[in-house]
This record gives sequence, C-alpha cells and structure tokens, in this order.
Amino acid sequence: MFGKLSLLFEEFLIFIALLLLMLFFGLMTESFFTLGTLRTISTQLPALTVVTIGMTLVLISGGIDLSVGSIVALSSGVIGIAFTVFELPLPVAAILGILAGGCAGLINGFLGSYLRLPVFIVTLGMLEAGRGMAYLVTDSQTVYIGASIQALSLPISGIGVSASFLISLGLVVLAQYVLTRTVYGRYLIAIGTNEQAAKISGIRTEPYLMWVLVMSGLLAGLGGLMNAAYLGASDPNAATGLELSAIAAAVIGGTSLMGGRGSIVGAFIGVLIISVLQNGLAQMGVSEPVKRLITGLVIILAVLIDRWRGRQV
Amino acid sequence: MTARITIKGLNKSFATPVLKQLALQVAPGSIHGLVGENGAGKSTLINIICGLLAADSASLTLDGRAYHPTSRTDSLAEGLALASQELSLIETLSIEENILLSSFPQNAVSIDRRAVRQQAKVLMEIVGLRNIPPQTQLAHLSLAEKQLVELAKALSMPADRIKLLILDEPTSALTSSQADQVHKIIKQRAKSGLSVIYVSHRLDDVLCVCDTVSVLRDGVIQLTAASNSLTSNDLIREMSGEELLQHSGDEPRETGDLRLGIEQLSSADFPEPISLQCHAREIIGIAGLAGAGRSELLHAIYGLAADRQGRVVLNRSGANVLIDSANTAAKNGMALIAEDRKSQGIFSGKSISFNTTVAGLGKLSGNLGAIIPKREQRVSEELISRLKVKCEGTLQSIDRLSGGNQQKVLIARWLQSESDVWLLDEPTRGVDAGSKFAIHEQLRKLRDQGATMIIVSSELEELTALCDRILVLSNKKAVAIFKRGQWSKEKLLAAAFSEHKGERALAG
Repeated sequence: MFGKLSLLFEEFLIFIALLLLMLFFGLMTESFFTLGTLRTISTQLPALTVVTIGMTLVLISGGIDLSVGSIVALSSGVIGIAFTVFELPLPVAAILGILAGGCAGLINGFLGSYLRLPVFIVTLGMLEAGRGMAYLVTDSQTVYIGASIQALSLPISGIGVSASFLISLGLVVLAQYVLTRTVYGRYLIAIGTNEQAAKISGIRTEPYLMWVLVMSGLLAGLGGLMNAAYLGASDPNAATGLELSAIAAAVIGGTSLMGGRGSIVGAFIGVLIISVLQNGLAQMGVSEPVKRLITGLVIILAVLIDRWRGRQV
Repeated sequence: MTARITIKGLNKSFATPVLKQLALQVAPGSIHGLVGENGAGKSTLINIICGLLAADSASLTLDGRAYHPTSRTDSLAEGLALASQELSLIETLSIEENILLSSFPQNAVSIDRRAVRQQAKVLMEIVGLRNIPPQTQLAHLSLAEKQLVELAKALSMPADRIKLLILDEPTSALTSSQADQVHKIIKQRAKSGLSVIYVSHRLDDVLCVCDTVSVLRDGVIQLTAASNSLTSNDLIREMSGEELLQHSGDEPRETGDLRLGIEQLSSADFPEPISLQCHAREIIGIAGLAGAGRSELLHAIYGLAADRQGRVVLNRSGANVLIDSANTAAKNGMALIAEDRKSQGIFSGKSISFNTTVAGLGKLSGNLGAIIPKREQRVSEELISRLKVKCEGTLQSIDRLSGGNQQKVLIARWLQSESDVWLLDEPTRGVDAGSKFAIHEQLRKLRDQGATMIIVSSELEELTALCDRILVLSNKKAVAIFKRGQWSKEKLLAAAFSEHKGERALAG
C-alpha cells in the first residue's frame, strides 16, 4: 500500500502466509472460524498493534526500542492511579498516561540521539527503569478501574469492533502514509539506510532520531491505555516481553533489523500472524511452554527470511 | 645470482587497468626503493605480492621457485614480512601481544608469557622503543610509537625464515633520530641477506637507505637505477612523466564574483589554518599525496569536521551566509560528493529516484510535507536522461548501476537541489572512460552556468584539464597555489612532496 512494487509483493506474500495459517487452524480446530475467535483476537490486538507501529518506525530509522513493554505498564499505571486516587476524569487520566509514555520516549531519544549513546543500551535501561516506575506508581498492585474504561475495548454496537481496534487500524493507515508519502518518512528511511550520506545530503539526523523514539513512547503510552481498557484495570506486570512480539511482528512484516527498510501494513499483518498463531495454538490445546517454543521458532524463521531478503538486493 | 623475488607480466585492473605488464626484480640483500604518486599502484602491487589481492595475470618467483600466494597465510609461510602503511595493529592489545600476534610462543597448553615478554623486549630495543613497558596497551601510544611497533611486528619473523621485508611508509610519523635507527636496522639486516622493498614519499630517505630505486607510473615501472645515480628531482621528474598536458588551452579563463570566502579554517583533522577565496564560474583543484589532508579540508569547508575553527562565508544572492553545519551548507546550495560513495553517498537498496531526490525533497512536497509522487517521478526521470544514466528506469535499485552511473546519480542529486557550490572528492574514481568524459563535460557545463567548484583528485591530468587554479596540499598544509597556465605536472608534484623532502618531521 502506497509503496513501491517490490514491497507490495512482499506484503502480498505475507498476507498469503496469514491466510494459510488461518486455514491451517481452521482445519485443526473446530471453533477457529467463529465470532468468538474474532472477538478474542480483536480485543488483544490494538495494544500490540500500536506498539508495533512505533517499533517499526524506530527499526526503520536504524534504532530499536526495548522499553515499550515497560512503558505500556507505566502508562497503564499512571492512568489507573490518576483515575482512582487523584480522581481525575478518565480522558485526562488517559492523556497523562500517554504523555508519561512520551516522556520516557523523550529520555530515550535524547540520550540516544544527542548524547550518542547506543539506543539498544538506553532502551534496555528504560525497560528496567520503566518497569520499576510502573511498580512504584501502582504500589506493585493491580489497580481496578472499572467499566468506564472498558468501554474502549468493547465492540461498538452496529460496527462489531471496539473503539481501540478502530483507533489502531486508523493509526496503521496513517503511519503507512507518513512513512511512504511524507518527507518525514523519507528522511527516516534515509537515516536508517545510511546515516552519513543522509547528513551529507543536508538532513539533520539528531531531531529525527529523537522524535521517532518519542513517537514510540507515545504509541506505547496509547498501548497502555488500550491494555488497561482490555483488562478494566492497571496491571504493573502487563506487557512483559511485548517488545519482542513487536519486533517479531515488524520483522515478519518485512522490516529489516539493519534499518532503512520496512512497512507498517506488513508489520500489522505480522501482528495478525502472531495473534492468529497464539490463539490457534491455544485453541488446539497446546500447552503454554510449547506455544512459546513455536512462537520463538517463528521469530527465528522470520529473521532468517529477513537475512535472505537482504541478500536479494 | 638468483633474484630474491622476480615479478613478470603482472596485470591488474579494477574498473580501469592499474598495473600493466609490470616487471620488477629484487636481489638478495638489496634494499629496493619503490616510489610513485597517488594511484600509481604501489599498494596494489604490495597487496598482490603478499597474497592479499589476486592479480589478473602474473608470474612470480621467490628464490627461483614459482610463487603463487592465495592469501596472507601463504606469503607469511614463504617468509614475506610486511609493515603496512595502514597499521595492522590491535588497539586493545598490549605492545608485546601486537608484536608477536602472528607467532605467539606457546608451551603445551597456553601462551608462554615469559617468552613473549623476552622476545618483545628484544625487538622493541632493536627498533628503538625504549622506556615503554611492553605490557602498555597500544591505544596509549603515539602514532610514531605505533609505527615502530608495526615494524617490530614485521621483524618478529625468525631470521632463518624471513626472506623479504616490505615496508610501506615506515617513517612517515617518525622523528629524524627514530628514522635513522630504523634505517640502521634495515641496513644491518640487508647485510645478512634480507631483501627489502621500501616504499616511501620521503625521497631523500629513499635515496639514502636504498641501493636501487624503481619509479612506478601509469601502472608500469618506468625506471630502475642505482640510488647513487639519482637525485630526488630525477625521481619527481620520472613520476610526473614527459607527456604534454592534454586539455583545452592553457589560458586563464574569466571567473565571476566572490562566492565562497574561507577564512583561517582549521579542524581536528586539518590543523593548519587555511584561507581561500572562491568565485563564481571557477573550478579550483586540490592536489596532494594521500594523507595530505584533501578530503579533511573539503569536509571542514562543508561544515562536517570536529573542532572546526575559522569561518566559511557563502555569498548567496547578495547576502552572506555563515556555513557552520552540513545542514546549513546543503540548504544554501552547497553540494558535497564525498570520496567513498558506498559509505557516504549512495543509499544502497533504494531506487534511483530515492537517491536522486533525497537532498531536495522540499521542492517536491506540498502541504504538511506530503511528497507528490508525480512530481518526484518527473524530476528524477528528467535528470536521469539529462545525465544519460544507463539504467532501466528510475525505480531500479541503485546497486545495479555501474560506478560511473552511480556517480552520475549523485551529481543528479545535487542538480535537483539546485546547488551552485560543488565540493567533489575524487569524482571519477573507479569510473569507466565513457562516464568519466561525460562527468567532465557536465562539470564544465555547470561551471559555465556560474557554479563554483572545488575538486579533489589524485589524477593530475584531471585537475589540469578542468581547473582554473590548483591548490596543493602537503602533509596537511597548504603549500602552493598555481594559476592556469603557470603550472606543470612536475611543479605540482614537487609541491606535493615538499613537506616530505629535506627536513624530516620534527614532532614525535
């Protein structure tokens, strides 16, 4: 979508892979192609989707953000406490949560871009620190929020999908547009492909590298809101390991870990593949450990394909 | 007497032929000097001898036996020691570890540390590295000290195995006394039968240490003679050749108003402040040997250098703009095509269209920064046809293009952003003859349309053909500036060597 022919073809292939996977589970289980499955997947999907959008943009710019899972928990915690303890109206609490994510992203971005610290290490530190903050904010307990926030996660009558789902879908389209059709997106791709050449071409790399991490933080903050909506509560343990799922989805969707190449739509299909995979395996009665094993193997397979793709250039 | 090493019929081409039917012989116990200007092929020759590069065709013998190295391991096994110009040392290891890197003395299980210490101490004493503990980390040494470690490493090969010692710029950072010590050892070793190939820009040193000198020019050995029959002027003359300067006329051409004022500019990599005034409709060349600081100067002008001091002022439609960063430079119509297009120019894996438009996206976008695809396509197609880039359309990946065509795309990039001050670093390196001609035509056209150009090139013919003035750098200093009609290849070379002849470097 909006892209060049080769990327379109890749996205098509990934889509076929998704359909085949769905077909497989449809045959292996009785109840895969039911509304119940759709509902389950579509409630869990939005948080992973928005986080993956941020991750994809960061990967394309040549970086990585390992802190998104912790930011989801932090944001969720901020929302819960703002609503229950400080009794702020829910919309205000939601904005505070998202901004908390943005602040974390700002710290990541500043350290990684202007101070030139390796982004891997910086976001790894934020992964720990963010999780710690999430525990601090919630006093290490689940904060019950209630039905008011769950409204976001429930299907809207007449449409069948939730507000969260629609928002995440809209952001996929918007992000894909920004990536492929705007100067900002083009510069991210250029910086991720060859930072030195981008500098010589007159692109100021520091602001772009910083803002893409801020964006990732804001999107993770939004993910925190969606996660809280899904649970009806703030769970400081939420989204542990989410960053790995986001990276996996991005890579499955055609994003290169080396930077400079990627697709938001592809990453979204990657999210669908992971969700379908995990859901289908659960319905097949596969145990949790085996589920993790298989998911891990899929991720490794995705990276191998990414390597192979890279050589095709 | 059988020669230690003979080379016959050595041919090597990259995009263009570099070494042509080269023949060279080094006698046992001889210190054989090899000189030539940049790009003459000295490093290529050394790499082929050491097995680091494969020749297209060659016949090599070592002590009369056929010699076909396929790797450095082969050449090491045959007794070829090398002290390279690009030091082959590991910064994080100690001096003694570096010296014995290829031949650690071992006992049954592990490295024999005492033997390492002993052997390293002996070698350090020989090369004149005194008062430094052998366990010092290499990163803490000065460049001169590192050069001595590189030499000690080369000399670590056991005396009964070492047959040929190749030294590539061994004294470039050394003081007079340090260099004297190095020459003393070389002469001693040569007396006991070791053959040496000594490559250097320090012509006085070459004539002093070597018994025979060969001059490499245009891929061929032009002259081999006993050093006591030559002067450094003879060498410079041989290196420059007697060809007529082939280009369009020698008369100076009309240049325009002051465009770029460089005032006392210096940087971390280019410490001697330089001032230069560049005009519209002018092409200024920068000549000098490798390491003279040409690329560093260009980067400093463009705003890309660390610790930049001084000023670069651009006169744009009457207003003066201070150039303080690459971003400012690019936004004000300055272009830089850097030396290594792979790491500094091309966006690999992206289309020709992407590569062409990346520096001027502002003109191709509408509100909110949205790029207009039709405009992008039209502009890139027009530029590609104007520069006659051989490709299958603007959506083709740039990696498929030849070097010459990739270079044309880089020129197209800056044409698209409407640059009028061009900084070009080796614009036709690795480019085929046809593209080279086309690029020169394009540069002339831009100049006639009013552009200012500063071109760095290792090819004096290129500079003498294109430029109105040529600035010569030697050892990171500006030493001379020649006007069109007042230069000769010999004069240019002499200036390029001037900071390497006579007085040796004073600082250690």
